[in-house]
Amino acid sequence: MKMEEMSLSGLDNSKLEAIAQEIYADLVEDSCLGFCFEVHRAVKCGYFFLDDTDPDSMKDFEIVDQPGLDIFGQVFNQWKSKECVCPNCSRSIAASRFAPHLEKCLGMGRNSSRIANRRIANSNSMNKSESDQEDNDDINDNDWSYGSEKKDWELKVTLPFILLSYTAKKRKSDKLWYLPFQNPNSPRRSKSLKHKNGFSVCTSASNTLPLLFSSSGELSNSDPFKYNNSTGISYETLGPEELRSLLTTLIFLFQQCGVISEHTKKMCTRSLRCPQHTDEQRRAVRIYFLGPSAVLPEVESSLDNDSFDMTDSQALISRLQWDGSSDLSPSDSGSSKTSENQGWGLGTNSSESRKTKKKKSHLSLVGTASGLGSNKKKKPKPPAPPTPSIYDDIN
Amino acid sequence: MVVSKMNKDAQMRAAINQKLIETGERERLKELLRAKLIECGWKDQLKAHCKEVIKEKGLEHVTVDDLVAEITPKGRALVPDSVKKELLQRIRTFLAQHASL
Repeated sequence: MKMEEMSLSGLDNSKLEAIAQEIYADLVEDSCLGFCFEVHRAVKCGYFFLDDTDPDSMKDFEIVDQPGLDIFGQVFNQWKSKECVCPNCSRSIAASRFAPHLEKCLGMGRNSSRIANRRIANSNSMNKSESDQEDNDDINDNDWSYGSEKKDWELKVTLPFILLSYTAKKRKSDKLWYLPFQNPNSPRRSKSLKHKNGFSVCTSASNTLPLLFSSSGELSNSDPFKYNNSTGISYETLGPEELRSLLTTLIFLFQQCGVISEHTKKMCTRSLRCPQHTDEQRRAVRIYFLGPSAVLPEVESSLDNDSFDMTDSQALISRLQWDGSSDLSPSDSGSSKTSENQGWGLGTNSSESRKTKKKKSHLSLVGTASGLGSNKKKKPKPPAPPTPSIYDDIN
Repeated sequence: MVVSKMNKDAQMRAAINQKLIETGERERLKELLRAKLIECGWKDQLKAHCKEVIKEKGLEHVTVDDLVAEITPKGRALVPDSVKKELLQRIRTFLAQHASL
């Protein structure tokens, strides 16, 4: 060790330089040797020439450097001008706006989507030439059919919408209620539905059917049919099938438990005293479908006219029978149920209506009033009937 | 006299190499050189040269000795001056540090 120190310190600069060069050459040779081993291994394993390409293909995949083109030579702002056609409303929408539009149009979002759908259907029906009628029908059938096989949400949206008109008459204001029903091009819309008592109700062939009825109690109640008309107003604007399924649900709620199961999403079909569900659950379901004024049926009979009373329900039943007897397939459970009760419904019909006359809470429809004069005729309703004419016609 | 001097030189070299390896400086220098050579394209140049040699000799008949004989002179020549200078500088500093001991 001592000798080593001596030798190192005794070296002059030229010797040190020579040693440095030697070390450097050593290192370079090391690197070269390492590289040679690397290449040799690559050759023997057969991957040395893998990255070789011929000049032709090199030219093919050259990077393009021109204004307006990306490095592959494609025009990169093509998508800006692209437009997609909505499969639902068949409008063309800019590609960047298409996803939000589709969400609204197909009803994936909130309730606003359904409003949008309705608006589209309305505007389509205003100028029918825009889209073919088949399309329209399909859309509207989806909107307005709530058979038992339908999903819950359809029931949820549509039922309260119609029942709004029903419960609205309970309030003693003189408000007029517009219900912009849409189902523009459906052929059943133009049907003239014949009432059991020989009274024909005019349904409109016009596409947007503004339902106008008043909840005033001061209308004359001499006509026994008036009550029927008033309860049936909103339903008569529906097609027979729609009406039936709606009313079937209503009847269901008055005869059976009806609590919606969490697992099956179906309504309980047991009696009102069904032990599996509590009264609270039953009440919740009724409030859900019929609005806050609805209560359990057994309680209802003892309540005053602020509640949803039995006479109303029976009138509804009678309407259902009228409907069920029209042109429905007997295979459906709803219609078969109604036909069972038909005789009873007819019998109680007039008496019930007389009872309710005294309660002075009635609705009347403009279209029906005019329909009284022109019996059994197809007569389109005026799109927005003037308010005073209601009272004139009725009185 | 001459023999003893030669002997002394050899001893000195051995001692320096020992020191280089012990301190790990040799490994560091090697790594630095490799990085620098790849950076400056030395490796790619050599590779191109390798391809020529291999095509000349035939893929199956290439040996490591052939490659070393062909490549090493070229590799030495192709090292850029900047890399050479930097490396020599590092070696000199190392020697200066350990010569003072």
